[in-house]
Amino acid sequence: MKDYKILFTGSVCSGKTTAIRSLSDIETLDTDASASDVTVRRKKNTTIAMDYGVLELTSDARVHLYGTPGQERFRFMWEMLACEFAHDAIGMVLMVDNTRKDPFRDIRFYAKEFSDYLLKRRLIIAVTHSDVEPSPDYQEYLSALKNLGIMTTVMFIDARDPRAVLGIVEELISAVERNIDWDSVCDRLLDNNGFTLDFYKPLYEETLLDAAMNKRGVLGAMHLGDEQEILCSNIDDKPTKNLMRNIDRLTDAISDKAGFLGKVNNVVLAGPDVQTLSVFNDKSQSLCLCSDRDISLPVLKQQASDLLQWSIENDYLA
Amino acid sequence: MKELLGKVDEPGIIDCSCLLKGKDVIVSSFSKSKRNHETIAKQTFSYLFLNVAKQKTKHDEAHLEIGEQRLSGFLLKPGLVLVCLSDKNLNITKVRSHIQHIKHLILQSEVDKMLA
Ligand SMILES: Nc1nc2c(ncn2[C@@H]2O[C@H](COP(=O)(O)OP(=O)(O)O)[C@@H](O)[C@H]2O)c(=O)[nH]1
Repeated sequence: MKDYKILFTGSVCSGKTTAIRSLSDIETLDTDASASDVTVRRKKNTTIAMDYGVLELTSDARVHLYGTPGQERFRFMWEMLACEFAHDAIGMVLMVDNTRKDPFRDIRFYAKEFSDYLLKRRLIIAVTHSDVEPSPDYQEYLSALKNLGIMTTVMFIDARDPRAVLGIVEELISAVERNIDWDSVCDRLLDNNGFTLDFYKPLYEETLLDAAMNKRGVLGAMHLGDEQEILCSNIDDKPTKNLMRNIDRLTDAISDKAGFLGKVNNVVLAGPDVQTLSVFNDKSQSLCLCSDRDISLPVLKQQASDLLQWSIENDYLA
Repeated sequence: MKELLGKVDEPGIIDCSCLLKGKDVIVSSFSKSKRNHETIAKQTFSYLFLNVAKQKTKHDEAHLEIGEQRLSGFLLKPGLVLVCLSDKNLNITKVRSHIQHIKHLILQSEVDKMLA
């Protein structure tokens, strides 16, 4: 079996997910639909996912399609994709959303980010959303790219159209693999069968603790549930753990008895030559942090609120 | 003692304050409308510093944000806590430096009282 790889990148909403999915069978599209059932269950870590799909070209050749996660905070994964998963890809597809204020800026940005990667492989620029915003047009892209000194192929596609996306795959693969019947691949695609597609291949598991430890000055963290049960913790010191659980118990008691005074948002313990201990409450969970005593309380509060938000968002991803 | 709290309370920084000895409020400038906060403070800080003592850590300062207010407790010496109430949005360093400034005055007066 010959395995080819193609890496898709581009700004959020440029159509990476759609492109990879449109080479798929409709049934498999909804594999993650059940996620909403489990929102009640607390999840302690999230799966940062990349888009991924496999398309069979012949009985002994297939192509793996990888999409970079869009959000800025997952930037570190681009390198992981470029250096590991897709280090041997034959080409990169840069998806450009034509409705962006300055689509050429996106090109400059990604061309620069992936400049090393592109030394050894082909780049195809796939312009999407041109049905919504036709300008800049094909000619303008060509001349802009010429000015940038980027030698590449530009294709205008609708990421929702499997035939258009397949056209990109064909453009890249046909140079190296001659005996593929593209028409029959396309027919099969449109019939929606014959594909093995795994969406959202787990790439990196980030736990709340990892996220906490990435914050400045945080030396340890513990996540408590409703009943002060430890959901996760990397604090080893027993007295500290006990102290924080007791503080959490206290805040629950106060909220119970004196709810009319408002919510107990946090309790912070500080002192000379000791770590600052803090407990932040959010509905049914609490986050406990041990921090460097030089971290100011406003910074600490901001960090905790980011982390709690993180944890809530991940509940919905659970 | 009461005059001392007058020095602790500072418009725009500290709304009111009290001194806790063990579990008892020995002097207070909390107004009637803020009595509930005083009660919470009493229970919270006696519990917290008891726990701190049990776990043998060196924490001597605690802050609790409740609603729009912040209750701060400063352990002046074992068993003696100065409590103050401030707006939760007020920069805490202001509260801290103000208390740091006033701490020795209170301790001194405690000593005087004991000697008297
Ligand atoms: N009108 C139009 N919509 C598109 C096109 N390509 C993708 N979309 C839509 O754009 C949205 C964002 O696409 P998505 O694949 O989630 O972008 P990603 O963030 O790059 O993965 C989806 O609703 C797609 O259906 C296109 O060429 N034209």
